[in-house]
Amino acid sequence: MNELILESYRMRILACLSVVLLGSVTLDVTLGAEGPTYEGDIAPIFKRACVRCHSTSARKGELDLSSPHGLFKGGESETTIVSGDSEASYLYELVHEHMMPPEGEGKPLTKQDVATIKAWLDNGTPFADGRDPKSFTEVAEVNQHDIQPIMMLRCTVCHGNRRQEAGLDLRTRASMLKGGKSGPAMVLGKPTESLLLKRIHAEEMPPRDKLLPSGVKIMPSGELDKLTRWITIGAPEVEITPDGASAEPDTIVTDEDRKFWAFRTLQPILPPAAISDFQGTNAIDLFVAEKLKANGLMFSGEASRVVLVRRLYFDLIGLPPTPAEIAAYVADKEPLAYERLVQQLLASPRYGERWARFWLDAAGYADSEGKRSADPIRNSAWRYRDYVIRSMNADKPYSQFLLEQIAGDELLDYSDPKKITSQHVENLIATGFLRMAPDGTGSDVVNSVPERMEVVADEIDIFSSTVLGLTIKCARCHSHKYDPIPQRDYYRLVATFQGAFDVHDWLKPTAVPGQSNGVMRTRSLAVATPQRVSEVAAHNAAIQQQIDLVNKKHVIMVTEVKAAYFGKQLATLPEVIRGDVAAAFAKGADTRDEVQRYLVDKFNKELQLTGKQLAADKNVAASKKATAAEVTRLNAKKDAIEPIRALWDRGDPSPTYLFVRGDFQQPGRLIAPGVPSVLTNGKTPFAPVPLTVSAEGTGRRLALAQWLIAPEHPLTARVMVNRIWSHHFGRGIVSSIDNFGSIGVRPTHPELLDWLSGWFIEAGWSMKDLHRLMVTSRTYRQVSNVSNEILAVDPDNLYLSHMTLRRLTAEEVRDAVIEIAGNLDQKQYGKPDAVKVRGDGLVTAVGNNGVYRRSVYLRQRRKEMPSFLETFDLPQMNPACQQRPTSNVAQQALYLLNSTMVRDLADQFAVKVADMSSNDGDKSAAIKNIYLAVTGRTPDETQLQQSLEVLESLEDKWQQHFDSLTEKERQQMQLDAAQKALSTFGHALWNSAGFLYVD
Amino acid sequence: MWTKKQQLNISALTRRGFLDSAAGGISGAALAFLAMQDMDLRAESLIPVGADLLPPSDGARRSFDNQPRDTHHPPKAKAVIQLFMNGGPAHMDLFEPKPILDKHHGEPYFNEIAEDISSPQSAGGLLKSPFKFKQHGESGAWVSNALPELAKVVDNVSFIKSMYNNHPNHEPALFKIHSGRLLPGRPGLGAWVTYGLGSVNQNLPAYIVLDDPAGLPVNTVQSWQNGFLPPVYQGTRVRSEGAPILNLNAEKPYPTGIMQLQRDLLRRIDEEHRGKRSNQQALDARISSYELAARMQLEAEDLLDINQETQATLTAYGVGEKTTDSYAKRCLMARRMVERGVRYVQIFMSAQPWDSHTNLEQSIGSAAGKTDKPVAALLTDLKQRGLLDDVLVIWGGEFGRLPIAQLRDKKKVAGAGRDHGPRGFTLWMAGGGIKPGISYGATDEIGYAAADKPVSIADWHATILHLLGLNHERLYFERNGLKEKLTDLFEPQIVKEILA
Repeated sequence: MNELILESYRMRILACLSVVLLGSVTLDVTLGAEGPTYEGDIAPIFKRACVRCHSTSARKGELDLSSPHGLFKGGESETTIVSGDSEASYLYELVHEHMMPPEGEGKPLTKQDVATIKAWLDNGTPFADGRDPKSFTEVAEVNQHDIQPIMMLRCTVCHGNRRQEAGLDLRTRASMLKGGKSGPAMVLGKPTESLLLKRIHAEEMPPRDKLLPSGVKIMPSGELDKLTRWITIGAPEVEITPDGASAEPDTIVTDEDRKFWAFRTLQPILPPAAISDFQGTNAIDLFVAEKLKANGLMFSGEASRVVLVRRLYFDLIGLPPTPAEIAAYVADKEPLAYERLVQQLLASPRYGERWARFWLDAAGYADSEGKRSADPIRNSAWRYRDYVIRSMNADKPYSQFLLEQIAGDELLDYSDPKKITSQHVENLIATGFLRMAPDGTGSDVVNSVPERMEVVADEIDIFSSTVLGLTIKCARCHSHKYDPIPQRDYYRLVATFQGAFDVHDWLKPTAVPGQSNGVMRTRSLAVATPQRVSEVAAHNAAIQQQIDLVNKKHVIMVTEVKAAYFGKQLATLPEVIRGDVAAAFAKGADTRDEVQRYLVDKFNKELQLTGKQLAADKNVAASKKATAAEVTRLNAKKDAIEPIRALWDRGDPSPTYLFVRGDFQQPGRLIAPGVPSVLTNGKTPFAPVPLTVSAEGTGRRLALAQWLIAPEHPLTARVMVNRIWSHHFGRGIVSSIDNFGSIGVRPTHPELLDWLSGWFIEAGWSMKDLHRLMVTSRTYRQVSNVSNEILAVDPDNLYLSHMTLRRLTAEEVRDAVIEIAGNLDQKQYGKPDAVKVRGDGLVTAVGNNGVYRRSVYLRQRRKEMPSFLETFDLPQMNPACQQRPTSNVAQQALYLLNSTMVRDLADQFAVKVADMSSNDGDKSAAIKNIYLAVTGRTPDETQLQQSLEVLESLEDKWQQHFDSLTEKERQQMQLDAAQKALSTFGHALWNSAGFLYVD
Repeated sequence: MWTKKQQLNISALTRRGFLDSAAGGISGAALAFLAMQDMDLRAESLIPVGADLLPPSDGARRSFDNQPRDTHHPPKAKAVIQLFMNGGPAHMDLFEPKPILDKHHGEPYFNEIAEDISSPQSAGGLLKSPFKFKQHGESGAWVSNALPELAKVVDNVSFIKSMYNNHPNHEPALFKIHSGRLLPGRPGLGAWVTYGLGSVNQNLPAYIVLDDPAGLPVNTVQSWQNGFLPPVYQGTRVRSEGAPILNLNAEKPYPTGIMQLQRDLLRRIDEEHRGKRSNQQALDARISSYELAARMQLEAEDLLDINQETQATLTAYGVGEKTTDSYAKRCLMARRMVERGVRYVQIFMSAQPWDSHTNLEQSIGSAAGKTDKPVAALLTDLKQRGLLDDVLVIWGGEFGRLPIAQLRDKKKVAGAGRDHGPRGFTLWMAGGGIKPGISYGATDEIGYAAADKPVSIADWHATILHLLGLNHERLYFERNGLKEKLTDLFEPQIVKEILA
């Protein structure tokens, strides 16, 4: 939301330019004995109706109405009261519109109360004891907490913890007094003698040429005034304890707030008793049966094997079963055939490629930086993508998966290159989760503090939506309107991340070429195992040897040419001097005597080839060219340690302040690290974990991660279980999978969700176990038919009375078409596959002669999303996507019907089918193969007959077409008419609902 | 072709439209039939039929398509043609005479506006306009001699002369004017409008972008993105030359007859498939999306065939004239689109023709030369056809320009241009729901910043939505538990004074 601030801020400047800015508090004090006074009338109303929530301790909305100081100071919102103007007073608006006190929170104010408040405001907020209301609006004397934020914005990037230019550190009073090479930065009480102010006034500081590369803006006069004032009054410091959770009960977030279903600690729960006629396969069915029965419904029947095998394949690995795999399963009469198939699919390496995708969506994975129109490529983001796929395939416990992604850098010490293991590398790659947000700060012009804050806000947004299932970003500017998340808690989270996301100690993403990169480091780490390091070194050394050899060959060749020329020219000299001349040249330059030097000088031109002559020599030129090409070729074969785009705690973060209305120029009170209070018991201090592994880190994120994976955490397991459920069943038990808060949707089966969450934790957070449990349930195995009865009672399948029919996802459509055509390259991992962008906007995979890898490996640049995938709802990540929409538009039809890639693949498919099928003129086998490969079904007799007829007509038409071609054109056709007919037929089936939908 | 076309339009055809047109003086069966063909494409087709409409848009939707939807309140405009003027047209050289610039020409004015100057090294003194201003028409609107054709029809338009943007660079300013925020990734105005209203013509995309065959604008395809809205609301690029829509036709077309065989096969398989699965709406919708695709192939070709226009029309727009030809064709196509019920049409120019950093007179002259005549002709044409009442025409860029000179070479004042001026600029609107002949707001006396009744981009967006019958607060999309809106958290004011 900072842009809003930025935008309104700009408008404020504009207002200053156009009109004289009026004081925001206009005082028109008419003290009258009759009118209401603060003590006599207002304080009692507040005390009765407001201070329960707005007191010094319980400061809802950052507002304290227990004293006139608090009232005049105001809360999070714009000016709370304007003396003399009730209409301009936010407080009056709220009470007048009955928005305060909130419904259900005590008695509403009476009409008389509201009228009294209005009169008091309009009368100029008088006090019975005659105190001037102005005295409450006067700003308190400046202290170090007014100054520190200014120093951080303008100075400490060069005079702070990372760099002390001229030996100067401007972070604290003490360090300012100590000063640098030129002496103390300030002289207490003497602003005109203070070097700091002198330099600023002389416009020497901050240095103009350093502004852009360090993301600093010039100090505005208001800040300069504050600084001057502070020095003038002797730079006072006050003791302030940062606001953090303590053993004292929280007064802002109450136990009442914690009673909301999603915030309640997970409790053990037992499945309901079995109901006759509702026999299921596991506990899931017991919960579902209870709801079904209560609504007068039954389970739908079990789907056929043919349906189940296709459902399972797409669901677990994202690819269709081959005809052979379908046949094998249908024929498998063992009682546990289904369970075995589940097992087999979960063990497939294809599983991770499918199931990584939902997490990558939620994390906002993209191969580019976004934010700016240029959208530069984010070079090593793919390593994070691989990490997710690998973790899924390895069935890494979700708890471990979270630990690594949120605090991987704090789990192991990676400072000693000799001790790096693959786990160290993995941990650091995992932190890429917190590096996925769009980020324009690679470009100097958009690398100022507010722009960095946007990036941090996006990361916190991704973190909270994905892991907590809560939307907390509104709390950046004001306390959450619906959920008990005060602004304070948002900044406690900011503080928790501050060791790594420090807007005053920033690391740049991919730098813009040509821009100064001197001031800021990038966020790449070149950490690798010693084995990998020596592997790379050995590999490169071997190549270097070859390069040296190639170079040497060229040098020898040149030497020979030179020698031959020398010999030839020497022969033209008088014979008597030849010996002496040759001897002179043969000697080293510094060992020649005077005569020899003379000789060399005299005959040098004659005997030696000049550089120009040498270059003109055909053989030399050819060798030089060949050598250069060979060296380039060899250099390209050199390997390098792959950089890791990581997040790591750099230690010693700048202090965190709450920003009033989210405005970075309005720092409020100092905040300590912590987590949302409503998810704790409200009386446990948040303690960063002392790191034994590294001297640098703060341990704040490790504490966060450990808190998340504690078994009693109310949200971590619920949110993840629900996500996985939503992908199997088409809808979450909580359908707003990223919002478990009060405006989210309530769970349809709350007990089931809690039971599953407990089960998940018991199962060691194994996602594969969870899949197995879900897909082996009777609930999952139901048919997807919607009877009229179901349509009447359960049209949205809230009660799980049937399976939900679903369209294939973007990746499934594309991968299946490629796979069915036989052109899927199963190579895993590595750099993203290249795309090409055509003038008309078509973005397609380059591929390898019509062979492609799975879509998850295709480059996903935010501004150049692959058209195929985008047409089928692959989202653009800004910043991430928690739940994809499913659209149904003509463009999808046009794509599948007309895309050249799809048509080419149909040809490949036809050739494959033709090869497989008998060649005796009976096309039945071919048709069955196509049907089975594309839709997972064999055609019935009618379908087969009709298909044969169509195929015949198609073949006729193609033959007619072939006949109309010239001989030359015909030779260019790679398929014959029969194959073309099959291609057209298969292509039609790829467009059919039988392919695009899973029953 | 004739019957097919008939078939296409039958859904959009209304009896009343036909009867009205017949009553309007058309005689003869053939003419009436012709009128029937056309009338459903005209005003009548743009008017949604209340009872048949889906409920108005709000965020609770789960399926996404372009079926026409009811409005929040009765609309004044039913379609939009946005003539986007990339680069930032200089308001003080086109619409807002600033005599004080003539008086103080050359005087320094750097410090006062230092904050906004992106390139201080090339900042010169105040710069008078090289163009001559006159008041035109009955409304007495000021238009400089850079836009002589617009001047002739200026009584149709209303100006907002106190617009402001929030960033001095093109990219963020463009994101702002198209999508309400300074950053990429949010849905553009056209995406919001089609999300809200759908389209009465299902045979064509609801939101069409006519980009310049010479090249993409700055910010490229991100100028018509759908952001977090489903991709069905993305602007569809329709090329005025070559194949009009991506994948509309195959690059490797099937020989005669094969396509039809394939279609028939597909329809049969799908109907069979659906027949075995009762009550699955998704399957019905999918089959109709294939029918739509087929109709789109036919109608899109017809749509872009401007040879169906009379020579007089072609000449009026400037088709065939070297400077105006390209833009004229796109303006004419835009008219043919709104006639057919396309909801939102945007015309873009390559790169940024209005970005007059140097040679001000020449630069503005060039951009104006390409567009002035076609734009004026479009207004006249829409009016003559009775479409201007229903179609909102928007003209403008992302920001204005500064009152001071920008000099690449300090010695060559003649080559002066103007740098970007985000704090004040002019745009105009005409047609559906706009009170013609108004001049609303103003920049300060030198044209630096909006001073009289400033209009923010959120204000402007809310006003456009309002004209279309949409309430900017009610038009939202639920994402991450938030109600995302075009106007985001800004609190816009509708510019009521320019509404009819």
